[in-house]
Amino acid sequence: MSPVFTDHLISWTIAVPFIGLALLAFVRSQEWIRRIALAITSLAFALAVVLWSLFDASQPGMQFVERSEWMPTFNIQYAVGIDGISLLLVLLTTFLAPICVLASWKSIDTKVKAFMSLILLVEGAMIVVFTALDLFLFFMLWEVTMIPMYFLIILWGGPARRAAGIKFVLYSLTGSLLLLVGILGLYLEGGRTFDLLALAERTYPSEVQFWIFLAFLIAFAIKLPMVPFHSWLPDAHSEAPTAGSVILAGVLLKMGGYGFLRFCLPILPEASAAFAPVILWFSVVAILYGGCLALAQSDLKKLVAYSSISHMGFVTLGIFAFNSQGIQGAVLQMFNHGITTGALFLAVGQLYDRTHSREIGDYGGLHKPMPRFVVFLCVFSVAAFGLPGTANFIGEFLVLFGGSHTSFVRVLLAMGGIVLAAAYMLWMLQRVVLGKASTREAALLPDLDMRETATLVPLAALVFILGLYPGPLMELMDSSVTSLVEQTAEFAPADVSMLRP
Amino acid sequence: MSIYLFIPLLPLLAFLVLALGGKSLGESSHKVGVPAVGLTLALSIGAFFSVAASGPISIPIYRLIEVGTLAVDVDLYVDQLTVLLLLLVTAGSFVVHVYSVRYMIGDPKYSRFFAVMALFTFAMVMLVMSNNLLVTYMCWEVMGICSYLLISHWAHRESACTAATKAFLVNAVADVGLGFGVILTLFTYGTLDIQDILAAAAGAGGSGINLLAWAGFEWMVESNTLITLCLLVGALGKSAQFPLHVWLPFAMEAPTPVSALIHAATMVNAGPFLLVRLSPLVMLAPSAMTVIAIVGAVTALFGGLVALTQSDIKRLLAYSTISHIGFMIFACGVGAFVVAIFHLLAHGFLKGFLFLSTGDSLWSITPHGSAEDGEEQRSTAPVAPSLLVGTLLLACIPPLVLFSGTYEQMWNVHDLSSARIAFWIIALGTVFLTAMYTFRAVVSLFQQSMVRQDAADSGLYAVRPRLFSTEHILSVGLLTALVGCLLVFLWSWFTAFLAPALGAQPGGLLEPSGGFSPWLVAPFLAAAGGWSLAWYARRRRGFAAVNRGEWTRTAYVLLLNKLYVDEIYDVCVVKPAIRFSKWLFYRVDVRGFDLWSRDLAGLSKDLAQWLDRTIELQAVERTVRQGASGLVSLSRWMWRVIDLRGTDQAVQQLGRINDETGEVLQGIEPRTLQHNLVVVVVWLVLVIGLLYGLVYGTA
Repeated sequence: MSPVFTDHLISWTIAVPFIGLALLAFVRSQEWIRRIALAITSLAFALAVVLWSLFDASQPGMQFVERSEWMPTFNIQYAVGIDGISLLLVLLTTFLAPICVLASWKSIDTKVKAFMSLILLVEGAMIVVFTALDLFLFFMLWEVTMIPMYFLIILWGGPARRAAGIKFVLYSLTGSLLLLVGILGLYLEGGRTFDLLALAERTYPSEVQFWIFLAFLIAFAIKLPMVPFHSWLPDAHSEAPTAGSVILAGVLLKMGGYGFLRFCLPILPEASAAFAPVILWFSVVAILYGGCLALAQSDLKKLVAYSSISHMGFVTLGIFAFNSQGIQGAVLQMFNHGITTGALFLAVGQLYDRTHSREIGDYGGLHKPMPRFVVFLCVFSVAAFGLPGTANFIGEFLVLFGGSHTSFVRVLLAMGGIVLAAAYMLWMLQRVVLGKASTREAALLPDLDMRETATLVPLAALVFILGLYPGPLMELMDSSVTSLVEQTAEFAPADVSMLRP
Repeated sequence: MSIYLFIPLLPLLAFLVLALGGKSLGESSHKVGVPAVGLTLALSIGAFFSVAASGPISIPIYRLIEVGTLAVDVDLYVDQLTVLLLLLVTAGSFVVHVYSVRYMIGDPKYSRFFAVMALFTFAMVMLVMSNNLLVTYMCWEVMGICSYLLISHWAHRESACTAATKAFLVNAVADVGLGFGVILTLFTYGTLDIQDILAAAAGAGGSGINLLAWAGFEWMVESNTLITLCLLVGALGKSAQFPLHVWLPFAMEAPTPVSALIHAATMVNAGPFLLVRLSPLVMLAPSAMTVIAIVGAVTALFGGLVALTQSDIKRLLAYSTISHIGFMIFACGVGAFVVAIFHLLAHGFLKGFLFLSTGDSLWSITPHGSAEDGEEQRSTAPVAPSLLVGTLLLACIPPLVLFSGTYEQMWNVHDLSSARIAFWIIALGTVFLTAMYTFRAVVSLFQQSMVRQDAADSGLYAVRPRLFSTEHILSVGLLTALVGCLLVFLWSWFTAFLAPALGAQPGGLLEPSGGFSPWLVAPFLAAAGGWSLAWYARRRRGFAAVNRGEWTRTAYVLLLNKLYVDEIYDVCVVKPAIRFSKWLFYRVDVRGFDLWSRDLAGLSKDLAQWLDRTIELQAVERTVRQGASGLVSLSRWMWRVIDLRGTDQAVQQLGRINDETGEVLQGIEPRTLQHNLVVVVVWLVLVIGLLYGLVYGTA
């Protein structure tokens, strides 16, 4: 491969969705818009896979780094690069995008061009967020992801889409504002540069770290979301169109976790360690609280949305354990949650396309009319509560083991969250899949067609492959996580629960 | 690569083939499942002889997880304990597979049934062969989901669906214990490799865990004790021990072959198996062992007593299973691990056999239509002998399988005589109860007073062929009996065979002496007592417990309702949990957390409306119009002033025109911004012109 290609591989991956965006402007036929969108997103995925194949997993630092001056007056650069963690998230983003396009093939039949353009825009922006090495670039595209999501929600969403969209924007804006404050704080304290790597090399006074961390914490906590800041999520998830929910749950939430890993831990290790106990307890609260609320839902999409809150609790529980098991578990959990929750939203969306109802009570006995669908729904549901053999189990186990180094009680409580997850998922299955159909239409629903099956098969396959053979993914981030843990080692909370005489 | 790798691999392959292509295989699905499991059985027999000849085999497969210092390898380890369990699992699975070929005919989910059975076989085989606690845990859960899928096999029945969910959730609660145990083990020993753990266990004594570290206090508990208790909690769920036994009786909603294989012979034995597998670790925690013994003893007696009162034969058998596994757990608790395994094997084979013959007899006593048709075929004759054999076996007639062997040699852990006496009392009590309820069940079955509630299901099958012929069942039964007798005589061999797998036990085993011992008379007497009491109660109608006074009646009603454990859970756990989550949703999430965001939204809406009002075009228009009228009055005033000063006519006229134009323009409703701009510009030009004219024109 030519060096022009390999040296600028990340830029190519970023550019593809944007080029596609421009291309779509000239296409009129709806069918061709869909096809081009699918081709573009697939191409982006292919490039991400090339990135993966050329990535040297044994190296801990950033790879494929590209830098060029952008606004030299403020020391702002266009700087991108990946390490194991960002590569995983880029893979996840590009993997889900074609599936989103496929999932909205038929269900979106108005303003197709706008819809596909927004999907491409949000994909491109998210790739930049996960690869940016310049805080300004990061912040800019972080903001950009919000706008297409807002339009996806309010233009193609469910009945309460306006309120949901506004709530989403308000929360996101609050978060971004604080993120901006944090970034500016770093800029001023860190020698007037936005360069992530340069910022990470400095050490900051505790006082400064505290305030900047607080700003980052709230910004990322809103995105992730952590419990007191979560109330935008159920509305946005449930009102967004299927593809929107998949992107939201699959990738957008991960920006919060990624932020913690990329900014808080390496740049502000002291404040991270100081805040860790609080965050860990909040994570446990999120796990249990999200689980309880999911149990109370009668709306399928809201159930999945609340389960997301519960699952993201595991992410923060792992990250702030400050050891490689916890952090690798957290990254795996982010990846797996993207797959399983995305798949659950897809499956629920397919039901919604048929009946235009999200109420659990409107279904029942689906095992008879839709056997193929039921298999997929069961697979993703059991994966969602971390059944061993599915992807989520490995992530949760690592997080729990990582967490056990700081407190057994939190681990035990978090495991209670898994029981809750089993409860709401199985109860949902019992009411939707098993038993007798509650309505005449529910008994006559058509099973999945080829396209719908094609959207679910790769996800289901991945669930099992990652559950039984997570080695390749874990190798990918191993050295990155190890170096991250080494950076924060001196601040890591002491092991208090175990005493060896 | 060892050939024994195929023991788990074959059922897995069968599962994959059936899961991916089962639809097209239809009712020939068993052609995949049966040979695969048959070959597995053959390989297991091979493994048995190989281990007997040359000791344990270890088969590494691949590395599942490697993070920092933590590495989890999927390894197989085949030792004496494993091969015995393997024989039970594969033989049981094979027989049940063959049996199901006919039993499940006509079922629309024929291929699904065989697929899940194959997956279950794989999981159970992996469980007994695994050399890694995490892999054990994974198989443990996979078995749970297989059980879930099979209980809900007849998904059109609400009761089956509820039972499936209940079974899985009760197990999920217990699995938190097991999972926590795995994490604790990993934390304590730094590895999950079972052999390494057992080797390290002896040295790890004394390391402790501070349970109250989070609260700033110190409450040290020895890690081994905690790990053992966690394992016990796991066993409580999977092996249906009191108080987590509630799922097993409901699990009888599954098709009978499933009840035979999963809920009697194999899966429910996972608890005692795990305790025996980790016995060197368990032995280091005497206080945990006491808890295990108490739980087992309570379950053994509780299950037996409840079984006495049940009228549904499958439920009766379920409680009997609970009781017998309780006995195994109890045996583990007092350190008699060999007894536990011996009883596990014997009970597994027997219960499986009993369930299958029950399935057969149920099939023959339920009509070939729905039960509501009412016309029952009362032809129990061909089934009677097979059931009788099974009952004899279950009733523990001492020369036969259960409760045989020379107990006084098996157990040297607690040198306390009180523990020894407790063991005998529990054992004899279990024998007594078993004899009583099995007698009752069989007699009732002959008298047609027991009809299985799921008789309606047989309505599914228009034509259902005979399953096994009576001769087959009889011969299987006799074979089991024969094997049992052999085992009795081979007791010393059995103990010696198993000894290396259980590790060195403190105190050491006494020299086993084969053959009968006078101790065998005691269980025989107990069994005979049970039989005769049941017979007596049967003959004397007036003997019914209800007529025996207040106390007996209360006890009977309590037991008939299984001590209301299900109801207590429902009222104290399930309903409050759902109510709490609803409350949390409506009161806390919607009203609480949403509130501040809604306030924020309200505020911003007000702000937007205010902005809207200010920036709105109407406001602009109003301003412009006010400006216009202001200009008009200004010009009037000017005109008046100028008029008063006596300026000339031309100026007056100009002024008048100006005034009129102003009024005309004022009459026009300005509609757009451009319009307004035009108005403003025209006015400005006019006014400036007027001023200019006034200032310079008169000069």
